[in-house]
Amino acid sequence: MHDKHIIKIDLILVIVSVIGLIVLVGYASPLVIGPIDEYETQDTAILFEIEKADVILIDDNVEFTSPEEYVVKEGLEINLKPGEYYWKAVGVWGSEIRTLTINSEVDLRLRRLENSDAEKYGVFNAGNVKLNIDVYDGDELIDKLKLGVDEEIKVKGNKFVGGQDE
Amino acid sequence: MKKLRLKEINLSGGKMNKNILMFLTGLLIAIMLVANVSALGVTPARTTVDFEPGLKRSVVFSVINSERRDVDIVIAVQGELKNNILLQSAQSFSMTSAEESRQVAYDLSLPATMKPGLHTGEVVILQLPDEIGTSEAFIGAALAVVTQVYVYVPYPGKYAEASMNIINANAGEDVTFIIPVVSRGEFDLVSVKANIDIYNKVGEKIDSFNTNEISVPSSKRREIVHKWKSDVFPGIYRAVATLIYDGETIQLEKVFNIGNQELELQQIEVNDFSLGEIAKMEMLVENKWSEPIQGAFARTNIYNDRGELMADFKSPSYDIPALTKKVLVSYWDTAGVRTGTYNSKIFLKYADKSVQTDLQLKVEQNRIEIIGLGYVISEDSRGGSGNTLMIVLVIGIVVLILVNLLWFFLLRKRLKR
Repeated sequence: MHDKHIIKIDLILVIVSVIGLIVLVGYASPLVIGPIDEYETQDTAILFEIEKADVILIDDNVEFTSPEEYVVKEGLEINLKPGEYYWKAVGVWGSEIRTLTINSEVDLRLRRLENSDAEKYGVFNAGNVKLNIDVYDGDELIDKLKLGVDEEIKVKGNKFVGGQDE
Repeated sequence: MKKLRLKEINLSGGKMNKNILMFLTGLLIAIMLVANVSALGVTPARTTVDFEPGLKRSVVFSVINSERRDVDIVIAVQGELKNNILLQSAQSFSMTSAEESRQVAYDLSLPATMKPGLHTGEVVILQLPDEIGTSEAFIGAALAVVTQVYVYVPYPGKYAEASMNIINANAGEDVTFIIPVVSRGEFDLVSVKANIDIYNKVGEKIDSFNTNEISVPSSKRREIVHKWKSDVFPGIYRAVATLIYDGETIQLEKVFNIGNQELELQQIEVNDFSLGEIAKMEMLVENKWSEPIQGAFARTNIYNDRGELMADFKSPSYDIPALTKKVLVSYWDTAGVRTGTYNSKIFLKYADKSVQTDLQLKVEQNRIEIIGLGYVISEDSRGGSGNTLMIVLVIGIVVLILVNLLWFFLLRKRLKR
């Protein structure tokens, strides 16, 4: 066979091999669908959508020095505390690293208790951080309480001020 | 049970009457709830700033009208930094029921110098009580939420803040010690390491080791991570860490567990069931931990075919002795429930843990079948998709290599001849 044809076949083979490798690497790489990069929310339950991966690693630093590891399953929802996170999916290879921010939120709910004194209330922490509650009677501070997420306390007072605990 | 039947008889006078009564009751409850509840939110709860001389920054926060009501809001600034915080908008405004949230901004202006350490300020968002408090439903109290401002001023020289987190493990496995270190001083921390002593339940030191060494730039956070092989009996241990940074030390202490403090849901039985009545669900739970687990309970969520929560109930709290099994009993009122298959989540809650089991309840007229209990993600299934991909990848690469070898070392030479 003519040398020219052999060189042509050489080139074709090299190109096909390179393309084949790229396709294989792409095929085996984890496909990260959600949440999108730089996603911000107040919701502490995060739904992850990924394909071709076995685990999700989540850490508060980009070096992933102490990652939380979650086994991937359909509709994987992970509860996280407020903060900034880095996460990636790992299968045959690791995916791109994405960031995720859960903004802290104070959400205080007050309901007047039935069958009780007029000044007695149920104070409920519907936010995502532990709260310090200052209870006032008029302008006088009468109590200081701590309230965990999704907790309710029953307390007397007519002004309730809630801010993030330490 | 009797009450339920009585209710059915009383309302059986006409389906229409029953529907109207239910609608009116629902409407009344909704009105009462709306009127009886006051709610307010703010995000973020805290803004943290590293001090820079003369820093000026605009900070935005959102006031959340959680209950979607017409509310009057007043904003005030208090705390040590009150003179450094200036609201960009009016101090009072109204939000209508259509307005879920409103963004508000303030300017933070810092002086040229401040004392080292933490300085705080608070922006208080106050929802005024309704003035027309004539009915029983009147909420006569004021509700306020706070968004905080934290300004960290570096300490002179070198200064570290640290804490210790420990990830428990089974006996013989690696326990992970994580020590986050924040450099709060003016200068970088060049050499930060820790010595960790492990003590058993009676206070005897059973091991001691040093971690790796890291450096931490000023105002940055880094972690020391060390894995310790726990060749000890399962139980409760105490770690005392001495963090050593550039000649200074910090003492840290934490209790941790060796062995699984683990409850496993093994079986659910519903006996003598009849649809429309109260189902007694007996959940067999095993304590695999070598210490008693106190205050454990099961919480069950059942969802309808639209994925909406239709039942949420929990068992009483139980103390489960070490390495034993106990039956946790929950009751589900199936009044109004139809036959069918319902998705369900059962949470075993104990200490600060929550172990979730997903299963389905196949509800029939006289029995409830539990589908899916006992499914465990095995080591094999964990690596399932990864293994398949790896096989495809290896086969693809081997084929490419073989084709190249065949061509360059065999066919090419033959054709050249």
